[in-house]
Amino acid sequence: MVMLRGFLVLVVFFLLGEALRLFAGLPVSGGVLGMIMVTFTLMLRGKVSDELAEASRGLISVLVLLITPGVVGVFFIVDQFSGYWTTVVVALVVGTLLSVFTTLLLMKKAADLSKEGGDHD
Amino acid sequence: MTDSSAAAGALAVLASGPMLAIALTLGAFLAAQWLFARFRKPLWMPPVLIAALLLAVVVAASGLGFEQYYTGAAWLTALLGPTTVALGVPLYQQMHHIRALWKPIVMTLPLAATLAAVYALGIAWLMGATPLVLASLAPKSVTAPIAMGIAEQVGGSISLTLGGLLITGVLASLFVDWIAKWLHIEDDRIIGFALGLNGHAIGTARAFEISPMAGAFASLGMGLTGVFTALILPLIWSLI
Repeated sequence: MVMLRGFLVLVVFFLLGEALRLFAGLPVSGGVLGMIMVTFTLMLRGKVSDELAEASRGLISVLVLLITPGVVGVFFIVDQFSGYWTTVVVALVVGTLLSVFTTLLLMKKAADLSKEGGDHD
Repeated sequence: MTDSSAAAGALAVLASGPMLAIALTLGAFLAAQWLFARFRKPLWMPPVLIAALLLAVVVAASGLGFEQYYTGAAWLTALLGPTTVALGVPLYQQMHHIRALWKPIVMTLPLAATLAAVYALGIAWLMGATPLVLASLAPKSVTAPIAMGIAEQVGGSISLTLGGLLITGVLASLFVDWIAKWLHIEDDRIIGFALGLNGHAIGTARAFEISPMAGAFASLGMGLTGVFTALILPLIWSLI
């Protein structure tokens, strides 16, 4: 029951996110809007209930399971890439390699910089 | 074996409900966890890739077909919505770590999120990709529900976008591990942020395997990149 109460909270926030997306015409998904709303609600309350913490831990622990069906699709879309297969693969492999490198380097430099800048803020 | 048409008939009946797809997915997920531990956790072969490979082989060899499998598995993938919302909880619980690092995050995000799209687009453009392919690849680092919306807005193909972002997610999970090691970065916060920013939900799932803190930073990176790209990309696209 405890787990279900937390799950209900998550589903309600998802629906709120979807409603906000539809009414405000935002290009952002209901899940992400719901995530932002949960974070802000918790910050305002200043604490998280056991049931919500429990339910979110449970769902996040099976996140890999939930994305697996979509990943299976990669092996079945090869036909759609035909013709520009090489272009797509090279762009994705090299592009992702470069962007991961850039993110890590930028983040490291920025973290070092703000440490040197002083921890007084 | 002796009566293959009866076997095919039985498969069709079982496959008409979601339980077969759910059982296959759960089985592959558990088998992948076991194999991953068994082979001493190879970084180049994350559990999600093992599970997906196993499933692809079973789905293709059994004659079930991807469409039918995916329709059944929708009972599982529907939970992705509330699970995305659930990411807000670790985000809140790790807020003191995020506050301590807010400056580097704000400095890194706009440039890194833009480059995540620009590198791949530049390479594809140099190789002579069509506008359709370019528009489909543009939202490659963004979480699936947002990426589909962006692809629609800039005139890409949804299935090509989904394919591109799935491949990107798997690649990003591998590359972050390798490059972080190579750059001697051991800070879970930086590694997690890079995983979420580049590898959306797949990277975030990988980050939660590292630590809850890495997971929280990945959720943050994924959310911020999604929102930022959704707002900026259609704008840039209309200018060029």
